[in-house]
Amino acid sequence: MNVEVKTYRKGEIPGIIAIDGQNCRGCDACKRYCPTGAITGMFGATHRIDRDRCISCGQCLINCPFGAPYETVDTVEEVQAKLGDKRYTVAAIIAPAVRVAVGEPFGLPAGSLVTGKMYGAMRKAGFVIVDNNFAADLTIMEEGTEFIQRARHALFGEKAEHGGEIGPLPQFTSCCPAWVRFVETNYPSLIPHLSSAKSPQQMAGAVAKTYGAERIFKVDPEFIYTVGVMPCTAKKFEASRPEFQSACNFVKERGGASPGTPYPDVDTVLTTRDLARLLKRMKIDLAAENNAEGGTLFAEYTGAGTIFGNTGGVMEAALRTAYVVLTGNNLAKLEFEEVRGLRGVKSASIQLRDAKYGKDVTLKVAVVHDIRANIRPIVEDVLAGRSPYHFIEVMNCPGGCINGGGQPICDTGSSWIGRILPSFAWS
Amino acid sequence: MSEKKKPYDYVESPFMLTRREFVIIGGIIIALLAVPVVWLRSALVNRNYYIKARTKGLYQDDVSSKIRMSHENPAIARFYKEFAGHPLSAVSEELLHTTYVNRMNALS
Ligand code: SF4
Ligand code: SF4
Ligand code: SF4
Repeated sequence: MNVEVKTYRKGEIPGIIAIDGQNCRGCDACKRYCPTGAITGMFGATHRIDRDRCISCGQCLINCPFGAPYETVDTVEEVQAKLGDKRYTVAAIIAPAVRVAVGEPFGLPAGSLVTGKMYGAMRKAGFVIVDNNFAADLTIMEEGTEFIQRARHALFGEKAEHGGEIGPLPQFTSCCPAWVRFVETNYPSLIPHLSSAKSPQQMAGAVAKTYGAERIFKVDPEFIYTVGVMPCTAKKFEASRPEFQSACNFVKERGGASPGTPYPDVDTVLTTRDLARLLKRMKIDLAAENNAEGGTLFAEYTGAGTIFGNTGGVMEAALRTAYVVLTGNNLAKLEFEEVRGLRGVKSASIQLRDAKYGKDVTLKVAVVHDIRANIRPIVEDVLAGRSPYHFIEVMNCPGGCINGGGQPICDTGSSWIGRILPSFAWS
Repeated sequence: MSEKKKPYDYVESPFMLTRREFVIIGGIIIALLAVPVVWLRSALVNRNYYIKARTKGLYQDDVSSKIRMSHENPAIARFYKEFAGHPLSAVSEELLHTTYVNRMNALS
């Protein structure tokens, strides 16, 4: 197993997904979901994952009919121990897509929206709530402002306020860590096109340990333990990226106590599946919980933040704010139907008048999900300089994060066939 | 096996399949190949059911939210007022923005 890996830096978890050779029947199904061609193995033989190509999206895991792929990182016990340690404030950073899926392992119908029950169950377990929807709103502020800056620079030659560099158009979203790693390993020349905004998870971690520590929780940031609760396996990798110690550096620079060991912005990540397992271990039945409030400033979120979990959601949220900022007017209708739904590539043109420059502009945006099937032509156009778009949202998983690799499996893929036909196959 | 007499003698070779054997074995192979295809199709139908149900859940959350635009979130306003100043400020750049690395050269 100790094959050397080349596309990981020191400190990064080298691949979140591995295939258990005992369970793999070599049926090839996973290959048809893998966006990077990282899975190798002949039909009928045990398959393996090339970790250097893998972007840890977990699509193979949720779609394998035999439950052979597994996560290499499981911190459920560690989180439970921290919850029992009174010195720590354990902050759960809960992604939008979790609230419409975590009910499923507790017997609620698919897609049930259980924000209140989820808050109740998690507060009972001892978490404080940092809703990642709050951070999604923050992402829109940063990424949306960045987009407006890039657009005005490209269209009207506007200069950066502090004379810094302004990135090129089209701007790509950067909240999907599988997409980011896809760019880094396959199309590094696109890096300047990626929004410099961190993903909501990483913003939430950095904010919780700085502003949150100082003003909201009023504790030493070293004793805030941040737990991403994500529909996503790639988020486990993202949290381990070495640059994401910005809160620690920020506090140190401002003369805060220098910690013994530097702490990451996000200490660990649980998938939706992990969260269900943790709650069950703690004998908390989410389905039976009463609706509760989040109870902190960081639980206040808007409808724009919550739709981040759907394909097209980031774009729609960004357009709602960008429209108002650019025109100074309100939108007659908040819904951008063109960017919703399951078509592989969705696009929209928005005509508006930039109030600052008094000029009419047409913004062209595109939304891509299911990288495996849909990204290549979009990327080739950008590389060739012929992309018609100004802003492009990319989410690795088909449908967006609601179908992420960390979501409950139920009967969407894994293992059901193994249960029905244990001796099926060619193995 | 064919019962009818043919005008010529049919010599059965152990290395040749009779027509019927060919059809049966071919059928088995096709069936085996088809299993993943059928499975895949039913898995996709199933998957789309979950995708649609969860998607609906989030749009429902949006519609039932009192505030539906990020810049109107009062908690966000407070964060900028008390801490970061404004989007793309120096504090924002330090805490909320990042850089990326080229990992392609490491791949052959
Ligand atoms: S059993 Fe699972 S991991 Fe193995 S080839 Fe089939 S889908 Fe892939
Ligand atoms: S985690 Fe994603 S990229 Fe990695 S092998 Fe599985 S499907 Fe492919
Ligand atoms: S689409 Fe969402 S769940 Fe899937 S890899 Fe990207 S961030 Fe993770």
